[in-house]
Amino acid sequence: MELNTFIQNFEKQLEDVAPGSVGADTVFKDLDEWDSMTALSMIAMVDEEYSVKLTGNEIKQAQTIEDLFNIVKSKK
Amino acid sequence: MLDLQGKNILVTGASSGIGKDIAILLSKLGARLIITGRDHDRLNQTAALLDNQGTHLAVIADMDAETDIKALVEKVEKLDGAVFCAGIIDYSPVKFLSKEKINKVLSVNFVSQVLLTQGLLKEKKIAKQSSLVYISSLSSKLGVAGTAVYAASKAALSAFAKVLATELAAQKIRVNSLSPGIVKTPMTDGADSAISSDDMKEDEKKYPFGYGSTIDVANYVAFLLSDNSPWITGSDLVMDGGFTLN
Repeated sequence: MELNTFIQNFEKQLEDVAPGSVGADTVFKDLDEWDSMTALSMIAMVDEEYSVKLTGNEIKQAQTIEDLFNIVKSKK
Repeated sequence: MLDLQGKNILVTGASSGIGKDIAILLSKLGARLIITGRDHDRLNQTAALLDNQGTHLAVIADMDAETDIKALVEKVEKLDGAVFCAGIIDYSPVKFLSKEKINKVLSVNFVSQVLLTQGLLKEKKIAKQSSLVYISSLSSKLGVAGTAVYAASKAALSAFAKVLATELAAQKIRVNSLSPGIVKTPMTDGADSAISSDDMKEDEKKYPFGYGSTIDVANYVAFLLSDNSPWITGSDLVMDGGFTLN
């Protein structure tokens, strides 16, 4: 799986960011619109796109989008 | 002291969580049980924890499979009570729902419970003056993000129970549901949950008495199944440690 595609998939779940404004090192929990609903959307996106069951605890552990990417990759 | 001696009681979803602890408590109170669950090993673990060994029956049944439901109906002897606990949750936000996800949750949480009830009634496996208990959920009355289909399935189950209470009143069969808030079980508290442990801890602070335990639910279910609650039918008790007071 590709980091860039993952970033695009991640960005698609956000409503209020300009395309291309998040990157691998974005600390996603600092985004204004990050909340429990966004977290559920990421879990659902990862399930749909990568067939990986991401947990709430794993999202808590990750800081950047790349961290999250690596977690998903390790569970593939 | 509640006494369920001589009562033949079916418990679905007995392989874990609320169903498991209900089964254990009912066995301590003297009931003869038929326990069912999907998972062979976990159902046997529950069976091994029951009091009065040798008097119970464990039947592997996938509530998603109509043939399993039919086989279960055939196996049970006339019941004095049944507790419908089988349930699954899916935390998909609405925009991620699919027909498959909707059907899966509705099938286990609602359709299968209805079909099992239907089969038991048709085959006259439910004795007069018995008691049926359906485990619904407080989420059916709230608006928790990610629980749309789960909440809908439980709202459907509560509504079903109320109608059934009317249909079975002439036979003095009591039908009740209960709607617990968050109870600590593998389903709500598991390591694979979509909700992080930190968020759960934070959420629990909204409960004046904290989250519930499976035994809190089991105690009330035992009461509903006993002869101590002969005037209670058609109820849907909210049990939430004070969560909805605010």
